[in-house]
Amino acid sequence: MTDTQQPAAPQNALTVRNLNFFYGQHHALHDVNIDFPARKVTAMIGPSGCGKSTLLRIFNRMYDLYPGQRAEGEVMFDGRNLLENGIDLNIMRARIGMVFQKPTPFPMSIYDNIAFGVRLHERLTRAQMDERVQDVLTRVALWGEVRDRLHAPANGLSGGQQQRLCIARSIATRPEVLLLDEPTSALDPISTARIEELLDELKEEFTIVIVTHNMQQAARCADQVAFFYMGRLVEVDTADRIFTNPRQQQTQDYITGRFG
Amino acid sequence: MVDRSHIVKSYEQELGQLRSMVSQMGGIVENQVALALSAIAEKNEEAASSATQQDPAVDALERDVEALAIRLLALRSPMASDLREIVATLKITGDLERIGDYASSIARRSLRIRSANEQITLTGLRSMGRLVQDNLRRSIDAITQQDSSRAMEVWHSDRAVDEYYTALFRELVTYMMEDPRNIRSCTELLFIAKNLERIGDHATNIAERVFYAVTGENLPAVRPRGGIATTENIVDVTDR
Repeated sequence: MTDTQQPAAPQNALTVRNLNFFYGQHHALHDVNIDFPARKVTAMIGPSGCGKSTLLRIFNRMYDLYPGQRAEGEVMFDGRNLLENGIDLNIMRARIGMVFQKPTPFPMSIYDNIAFGVRLHERLTRAQMDERVQDVLTRVALWGEVRDRLHAPANGLSGGQQQRLCIARSIATRPEVLLLDEPTSALDPISTARIEELLDELKEEFTIVIVTHNMQQAARCADQVAFFYMGRLVEVDTADRIFTNPRQQQTQDYITGRFG
Repeated sequence: MVDRSHIVKSYEQELGQLRSMVSQMGGIVENQVALALSAIAEKNEEAASSATQQDPAVDALERDVEALAIRLLALRSPMASDLREIVATLKITGDLERIGDYASSIARRSLRIRSANEQITLTGLRSMGRLVQDNLRRSIDAITQQDSSRAMEVWHSDRAVDEYYTALFRELVTYMMEDPRNIRSCTELLFIAKNLERIGDHATNIAERVFYAVTGENLPAVRPRGGIATTENIVDVTDR
């Protein structure tokens, strides 16, 4: 790979080693080893059921909510294994934010959607909170559209606006990693373009991991692309390499649309 | 995953159409070169005019290939091997079109050497023509069979074409220095040799593009070359 990192910055935000995952008896991820470079966008692609969303969910320990699901191996983040028992999930989830396929605004005002998460982790004055809300809404390019109705219900926004609000909500707690699971699959092309532009800006500060079924989206947004198939990581490389000349035949068949 | 055809059948069909148009174009151009060479070797006027008459068909095919390639890029968002093949095809048709033009030019010039001084040997030109024709045939086979090793062969044998050209150049310049009455026909022959050399280069370009499309790797930027044609070190007989 040709990426040139700042020497001071950590090379990889997340390092996955020998990761296995089980949904009860079903072995969903097999010995996955992959690095997620800091302040880069990594796209995970692969057919449905290949394990890419499972991996994303492991990064913020969503599986803890479901009995019978377990992960083995290592996911190193800031010097600690995220899979350990002693990890404080609340702090961890503030540092690793997640955005889902469908916009999930809380049933409250636009302002409170952002303030809610921040209040759990930080004690801010009213003025500081106002500033934080304006800052994140500006960064997701929503400020101009909602500044006059900050206290209106969030579910009155369009789908694209709701998704940008959810991204604003995720970055309001100042995470280091942003996980996105098919963030634009329910959006029109213009809203999709806005989100993609946003990712491009956000990667200056955050490490971004995006799961997408849209190959062109992966090609447009990602620095690094990982192809998963049947619970295994088949190939990970620069987006350039994956989409012009992948090393593995399986990757080639999938991205060219030849998968039988 | 043994069957390597696309899930979307119409995409597969369009790629097939693109391939068949290129191989049709390759066939015409190969024929043009053959006709041009026989126009020189056998002083065959009919062959000469039939070579030049094929130009419009080649140009039309080039436009059709371009239109289909652009359509595929816009509508299918090709990736990886498909993307490489389509981009290579666009460039290959450009090379084929140039080869067709050079063949026409050779055919036209062959008519002008009709009355040329018979003592000037055409042997060197014939051998060079055969070699260029052989390279062109192999590079077109490489396209239709997506054969990177054949492409590699062509790439290596362009050196011999260059060497023929350098030798012919020196020979013809020597004739011209010997007797100014040779200048007219030798100039035509020199241009013919140059055109053949260019055809060889375009055949090599095609080989390079096929190699890239098939393997995803580029051949080295510097290809084996067989010397440069200059007038230096040619003994001027009039000086004696």
